[in-house]
Amino acid sequence: MTEVLQLIISGAIQGMIYALIAFGYNLTFSTSKTINFSLGQIVMLGGVVGYILYIDMQSGHLSGMPFIAPLVAVLIVGVLAGALIHKTAVEPSLKFKSEYTWILATLAVGIIIKNGVEQLWSTGDYKMISPLGDDVIRFGGIGVYAQEILIVIVSLGIVCGVEMFKRRTIYGKAIQAVSEDKATASLMGIPEKLVITISFMMSASIAAIAGLLVAPLTFVSASMGTVLGIKAYSVSIIGGLESGFGPLVGGLILGISETLTARYISTGYKEMPGFIFLIVVILFKPNGLFGKKIIKKV
Amino acid sequence: MEKSQLTSTQRTLKVLQLLLILVPFTLPLWVQNEYYVHSILGRIFIYTILVVSLDLVVGYIGDISIGHAGLFAVGAYTMGILNSTAAVNAGSTMHLFLEWPFLPSLIVAVIVTGFFGFLLGFPSLRTSGPYLAVTTIAYGLIIYTFINEQEGLTNGTKGIQMAPLKFGGIGFNDNKFIWVVYPFLLLVMYLKTNLSKSFWGRAFEAIKFSNIAAESSGISKVRFKLTAFVMSACIAGLAGALFTHLDSNIAPNTFSMDFSVLALMALIFGGVRSTFGNIVGMALVVILPDLFTWFKDYRLMVFGILLLLTLFFLPNGLAGLFKKYFPKLFEKQHPIFTAEDTAPAQFITDQSVAEEFPLSLDKVEMRFGGLVAVNKLDLKIKPGTIHGLMGPNGSGKSTTVNVITGLYSQTTGDVFAFGKSIGKMKPFQRAQMGIARTFQNLQLFADLTVLENVQVGLHKHYKSSFLAVLLGLPSVAIEERQKQVEAYRLLEFVGLAHLANEQAKNLAYGQSRRLEIARAMALKPKLILLDEPAAGLTTSEIQEFNGIILKIKSAGIAVLLIEHHMDMMMEISDEITVLDFGKKIAEGRPADVQRNPEVVKAYLGSEGVLDA
Repeated sequence: MTEVLQLIISGAIQGMIYALIAFGYNLTFSTSKTINFSLGQIVMLGGVVGYILYIDMQSGHLSGMPFIAPLVAVLIVGVLAGALIHKTAVEPSLKFKSEYTWILATLAVGIIIKNGVEQLWSTGDYKMISPLGDDVIRFGGIGVYAQEILIVIVSLGIVCGVEMFKRRTIYGKAIQAVSEDKATASLMGIPEKLVITISFMMSASIAAIAGLLVAPLTFVSASMGTVLGIKAYSVSIIGGLESGFGPLVGGLILGISETLTARYISTGYKEMPGFIFLIVVILFKPNGLFGKKIIKKV
Repeated sequence: MEKSQLTSTQRTLKVLQLLLILVPFTLPLWVQNEYYVHSILGRIFIYTILVVSLDLVVGYIGDISIGHAGLFAVGAYTMGILNSTAAVNAGSTMHLFLEWPFLPSLIVAVIVTGFFGFLLGFPSLRTSGPYLAVTTIAYGLIIYTFINEQEGLTNGTKGIQMAPLKFGGIGFNDNKFIWVVYPFLLLVMYLKTNLSKSFWGRAFEAIKFSNIAAESSGISKVRFKLTAFVMSACIAGLAGALFTHLDSNIAPNTFSMDFSVLALMALIFGGVRSTFGNIVGMALVVILPDLFTWFKDYRLMVFGILLLLTLFFLPNGLAGLFKKYFPKLFEKQHPIFTAEDTAPAQFITDQSVAEEFPLSLDKVEMRFGGLVAVNKLDLKIKPGTIHGLMGPNGSGKSTTVNVITGLYSQTTGDVFAFGKSIGKMKPFQRAQMGIARTFQNLQLFADLTVLENVQVGLHKHYKSSFLAVLLGLPSVAIEERQKQVEAYRLLEFVGLAHLANEQAKNLAYGQSRRLEIARAMALKPKLILLDEPAAGLTTSEIQEFNGIILKIKSAGIAVLLIEHHMDMMMEISDEITVLDFGKKIAEGRPADVQRNPEVVKAYLGSEGVLDA
């Protein structure tokens, strides 16, 4: 029983990371109806930039910089990357009517980032040290790392914070107005282009923070973001791209299914249930578990 | 109709093209270097087959797939498991060796992959764009995981070794490998070209551009999308199966998502829907890293940048660039019509159903959440009449049309056509029964020519089988020519014959409205629904439209006319139904309806009634 509970807790924590990145996907989708397929690589950038500043690569020990330095740097990287992706890949794509232009353009940016980090930095795997140490905190028979508790707090904080911001403040209402109807929002004096750019910046900085958060639990490498990005995207779709809190539920489902499969079936197959679940959701609820049904007008 | 004549330059070009196609066959005879012929050219050929497969989904159906490496893997591993031998895999974890000969293994590999494509096709029926993209990624990753983990079948990460390829004692693992691969590439190209030129290709194009307009022309989205995915998968499976013998081994690493992306890149570089583009794109992706050694490490970055540039500056890829500078080489042969093709369009009406009501609605109610868009509507259209449906904005007219054509399914009540209940039928089935429609917000296939748009409408009247189309049998070409003439006559009927070979997107507004009618009439309908056909037209244009509609009526076709223009309605309708807030408020002859106080109130407000 304790073992199952431990697996569920670990899975839920893993799921929080997916949910956080998925939330980033939803942010840009709601304003621009596009998905940033390079978000997984921004997650990786967050991890790598955090590692470079926080750890001395030669020795593998702390570099001596306070943790606030990598944190700020990662945020800046996220904001810049978001703005850059929007400017170079998404905005030019929207001139073309076919959907695949922006899908491929953002995918291309992701490939460039990944290959760039591989060539300019390293292709190896590195161990990131948690600023909270490696001690396991025990609750009865269940153990969690301090870093994992941090993940849960930060993820929930960001998701709730941004949702509050969207629902309660006038700037958030502007974002919602753009997501409902760009043209009308623009006529009402909302700078819709700026709103979309900001949503890309927010989305990318959330992803970068997710990378910094997850780094101590995995290894830091140029390839750490690819699968993470795909899984988070699955979570997005499962929860519903138009839904605010849907990613949290999707993340929990995916995270817990992974730890349980890894323990009771095989580590090799741990990602299977999530992907199969994704396909099932697409087949039966194409707008996600919490998505709105869209009525096509003719 | 005349067959278009080739000029002498065009004929020379054809001959040159043919010679060029034959060159690769000779390579094994005079080139010793195995690296460039067997490894590089062989790879280009095999990968190009994969690109052709991807093109069917991306270029023709318009869906994006980032999972084709998975299908490629299914083909490769089916071939590996069936064709490989125990001897070359000594010490592996595999315990199943069938040791089948090459050709049967190849055929089975193609069929098995086709089945996987069938499965992948289902999500594409429900969704598209970014949703489908991630589904294909997941599909590819599922296959990737299986070939990694099923060690008993696939030898896990170490992969399968293949025995040397031999036919009649002669080894084909040197440059002669080209003789094995190249014919398959040509075959695939030939089949794809035939398909794309036929009514199948137009059906794909129609679905890509507008699902709804395609279904309304009697094209089943389910059937055509699934066929495209199965075809695509079969071709990917063929490529995979051939690939096993390229390096004589296969391992899971080859089939990762990166490979799917690489194939997509090749497709986009070259340009979708172009045979030439498919080859050039893949050749670029294979050759570039080979030409420059320094390039190898940075190749993904460079490809990424190239992809961005291609997407934004060469949306039709390199093929598009070539077409721009050498238009002669790629000129599309437009049909030419002569005087003898001009004859009035014939509309056959089936007299046997003349007794039945072409359309009758029985207490149809359509609710969207709490909103009742159509409220317990009864409506009967008499054979051979023009029935007007009018009402203020938002009164439920268009919703009624959408319920009749099956785009919405009514909440309660039922719809009958020609005496049969059609309330549960799919839109394309209703279209095939003979219910045609036009769209208020034009739904023309913008990239097709005017003539081709009408040919899409003729879709259900094509009789050629899929196989005949694929093989490009002469009967298919004959049928195509007949249908072109038929379509041409329909264009004459609406007065667009002189624009037959123009792209639909270049038409003026009023011309587009006419084309909508021609396309609907191509279905040879027994009932036609005209959804605001005169919206935005000038008075003189409306007069011409009245003429067209009356001609349709005189052919015995029942018309349901939805309009705002009162004069038009009054002039040509035999009977009028007026809706307000989804409810029928009046019905009868135009003159009676015009005087009905309820109608006046709905249109002018209640104060209008007092003043009157």
